[in-house]
Amino acid sequence: MMDNKTFIIAGIIVALLIGGIAVFMASGDPDGLESTALVVQGQKDLTGATPEDAEIHEDLTGKFSYSSPMPDYSLGESFGSLGGLIAIIVGTFLAVIVVLGLAYGIKLAGKPTK
Amino acid sequence: MHIPDAFIPIWQGAIYWIIALVFIALALRWAKNEMNEEKLPLVAVLAAGIFALQSFNLPVSMGTSGHLVGGALAAIILGSPFAAIFILTLVLIVQAILFGDGGITVLGTNIINMGVIGGFVGFYSFKGLMGVTKSMPVSVFLAAWLACLIPALACAVEMFLAGTFPLTEGLVAMGIYHAIIGVIEGIVTVAAIYLITTARPDLVDIGVKTPSGA
Repeated sequence: MMDNKTFIIAGIIVALLIGGIAVFMASGDPDGLESTALVVQGQKDLTGATPEDAEIHEDLTGKFSYSSPMPDYSLGESFGSLGGLIAIIVGTFLAVIVVLGLAYGIKLAGKPTK
Repeated sequence: MHIPDAFIPIWQGAIYWIIALVFIALALRWAKNEMNEEKLPLVAVLAAGIFALQSFNLPVSMGTSGHLVGGALAAIILGSPFAAIFILTLVLIVQAILFGDGGITVLGTNIINMGVIGGFVGFYSFKGLMGVTKSMPVSVFLAAWLACLIPALACAVEMFLAGTFPLTEGLVAMGIYHAIIGVIEGIVTVAAIYLITTARPDLVDIGVKTPSGA
């Protein structure tokens, strides 16, 4: 049976492999929600291919807008796949750190009562 | 099915946020009471794995792609729907803030769909199916499929309430696309649970330890 350290390292390696493959292999087609938006806006048939020039109309009036530092899991065109890999690696480790950080934080906050 | 800010009016997003916060508070209570130190490695690996799986858009034909959600996986393997809410909430926050995947005002909505609905549907349909079929792979597969499909239908209803999609068209399209994505979700969830139970059987709390499967 794997010890904790091996299990965490193996798990993170598997996650990084999946994310790394995703950078090169992920489909560029719109996801289910975006596809549905294109269908209801009459730019795409329900079962047909998505036209190259299809674009979702977004009504931003009175809505919040936010620019993230790494939109669409990339660092922009100039960095290409490398930027995608960096984004995935940063995101994977950040997910682990945030989850473990909060978990430990909760445990520490709960300790004094003992 | 990460909803962007443009798809839901801010006041509706605020209502979903309030509902989400109730469940987040319950998930934090779960973390405080149920998440012992033995479970931490699994929670960490699930966070990494779910983040990675969600970044992988798989082609599902019909000009559409989809990625896995992972709510059923987290809920089943950690033995609580609140485990899914805990992990998914944090993954969704990272995705929204760092990568712009899913909006900020609608983050509560995304947490409700993928974390709360995905977690509860995944966990309780697994328990119910396990009692009927007595088969782990069959129950996991169907539970994960439902935990992908039902949040998508909820999302279609929210889009209707927001005035973004008409009801029927939204339900049909979201339903068809995610019924297909759900098949992949089901297969990967079965594989992930098989791998984790093989590597560390002691960490897994499938929640069906009694002979009745309850």
